[in-house]
Amino acid sequence: MKRIFFFIMLLGFVLVYLQQQSYAEKEADKQGASKNGSYRKENHREYANIANLEIKDCNACHKDEGVAPNHDADFFRGHRVLADNPGNNCSQCHDQAYCLDCHQGGGSGENPATLNFGRDYKPKTHRSDFRVLHPIKALDNPQNCYRCHDQRYCNECHARFPGNRLKFNITSHQFSDIKLKPDGPTHANFQPSQCPTCHPNSVVPAHQWSSDHAREARRNLQSCQSCHEDGNVCIKCHSARTGLKVSPHPRNWGSIKGNLKDRGNGRSCIQCHDAGRF
Amino acid sequence: MGRLWIVRLLVCAPFLAASTAWSADVHGRSSTQFLWFNNFFDGNKQAEFAEYLNMSITNIDKAGKFSIEGYGRVSQDVRNGEGLSGRLYYLYGDYRGLYDKVDIRVGRQWVNYAAGTALIDGGRIDLRNIGPIEFSAMGGRNVVFSLNSESGHEGDYAYGLAAHLAGFKNTNAELSWFRKLDEGDVARDVIGGTFEQYLFKNIKLYANARFDLASEVFNEVLAGVKYYPTADLILTGEWFQSYPTFDTTSIYSVFAVDRYQEGVLRADYSINEYISVSGGYNRQEYSEGASADVYEIGTSIKPNKKLTINLSYDKRNGYGGNLNGGTAEIFYYPVNSLELAGGIQYDVIKRDSLTNEDYARKYWFGGKYRINNRMSTTVRVEDNVNINFSSDWQGRVVFNYDF
Repeated sequence: MKRIFFFIMLLGFVLVYLQQQSYAEKEADKQGASKNGSYRKENHREYANIANLEIKDCNACHKDEGVAPNHDADFFRGHRVLADNPGNNCSQCHDQAYCLDCHQGGGSGENPATLNFGRDYKPKTHRSDFRVLHPIKALDNPQNCYRCHDQRYCNECHARFPGNRLKFNITSHQFSDIKLKPDGPTHANFQPSQCPTCHPNSVVPAHQWSSDHAREARRNLQSCQSCHEDGNVCIKCHSARTGLKVSPHPRNWGSIKGNLKDRGNGRSCIQCHDAGRF
Repeated sequence: MGRLWIVRLLVCAPFLAASTAWSADVHGRSSTQFLWFNNFFDGNKQAEFAEYLNMSITNIDKAGKFSIEGYGRVSQDVRNGEGLSGRLYYLYGDYRGLYDKVDIRVGRQWVNYAAGTALIDGGRIDLRNIGPIEFSAMGGRNVVFSLNSESGHEGDYAYGLAAHLAGFKNTNAELSWFRKLDEGDVARDVIGGTFEQYLFKNIKLYANARFDLASEVFNEVLAGVKYYPTADLILTGEWFQSYPTFDTTSIYSVFAVDRYQEGVLRADYSINEYISVSGGYNRQEYSEGASADVYEIGTSIKPNKKLTINLSYDKRNGYGGNLNGGTAEIFYYPVNSLELAGGIQYDVIKRDSLTNEDYARKYWFGGKYRINNRMSTTVRVEDNVNINFSSDWQGRVVFNYDF
């Protein structure tokens, strides 16, 4: 499947290249452009210096040129594809501060509508009380947070709160509170080495918690990492050494474990496996 | 490290200001700010003075090819004992057009490839005007800002390569490779690409993808189309999917994860010079039967040149919780040099069937006065009312000087 996909991609690029070369040569003939037929995008630096230039002025010209209006109301979500290309022309109008004020926090505060988070300024997506909103907002494309924040940012913030304060009453967090029997002790009272006593052969009872927490983790593993940075809570059951020894690996583990081991120098493997046994 | 760089930057500032006898041009902005806010980590009110310096030195050489760009801040808490903190966002020398083919940038800088983004202490070289494909290479120490300082370790580096099409009127494409080191070990190894194609003067096709070499999955895939039959109307359709991937040095990299997908339909329409409207629908699929729907609408109204009103509302229902909320903003320009503004942000949140409905409100007002061509001052004050605070005032006063 992957080969077919890459072949189609390659074919597409070749067709686009040929179409573009043909188009550029015609344009060169018409407009007296460079002899090799290449097309140079117009430099927009002078527009940046025009006072009171409005986006609609840009859009009118872009439409005439057949170029999509780039700075529309959807700019916050859509600008990534434009900016990802090293050949972009963002820098003709914006310096790096324009990017970093949102991506790394801080700015000249010129716009009174700009939101603050302490000394850091934040984009409009972080409205009202973002501390309360962010668990839901983070689900609107889980990759979005990492465009501006390193994962360590999440850990640093979450680590400043006592665990119970952020421990919401949802099923993925109820394991330690599950009682062995209605009037018995909770699971929090036992060590991982004691697990096989009640769960021989790593058998987990068909308890709602076991399936719920696994499903939640697969859907939203990044949120687990926000509080359990080193995964010690997970390892209690998923280590190859102690606990229930339940394998957490994905289906394609056989083909990727070497990649992870070689690149990470086995740093993640050694947390659950004995040296030389992974 | 961060403070040291900022001190170096500020030590250089007087030399730059005295450089009028030089042939070089020095431009930029000094932004002096006073901020007060609630430090919710310790529950105390905090008040800080901050100085931002954004500068650009150009025409250093005769050909005007070399420039120096810098941007950083220092802030001093005067109430809560947080002390001095700072960030050097960038400080680099930029030489453009060596042999009309090579651009070189050395120093702290922001680098953005389709495969990955990093703030690095290092260098970047762009090779251009060499044909239909141009190249870029970058590498250096990976800089990671934490809440109050930098949180990088020794051996944290990032480097990458990119190739992109050049000289095509209707096509942009880039293919790149990005690698991040964590204390010397390869934490991320990613191939990425972007593609844009303009068709028939009113259609734009675009795509973006990242393939994680360690996990052998597409970490992200985006494909979309924009149709703009007139300059005033833009219709957007997008499909996006992602698999969470983690640093290979993290225990989370060995766990199974599920695919996330979303589809977006959106329309942005400027009815006339007074009113523009937008609306969108986003379907989110979290696998194993979980999903969410997000609806959003917005409008911008400009009844005259002195007044602008922006309204937006969105509603989310489904997996992870429900969220209803929006914003209302008003901007008034009684005279050219004065801007008055205010707004409300309102959200109602329900995380889980077992949790109660919470709300968050923010009221803000502010203004900006341009004293002359070089100087302006801005004020913003807001009150937050939510589950944590019945009232929480914070704000900033800013004086900007352009030089």
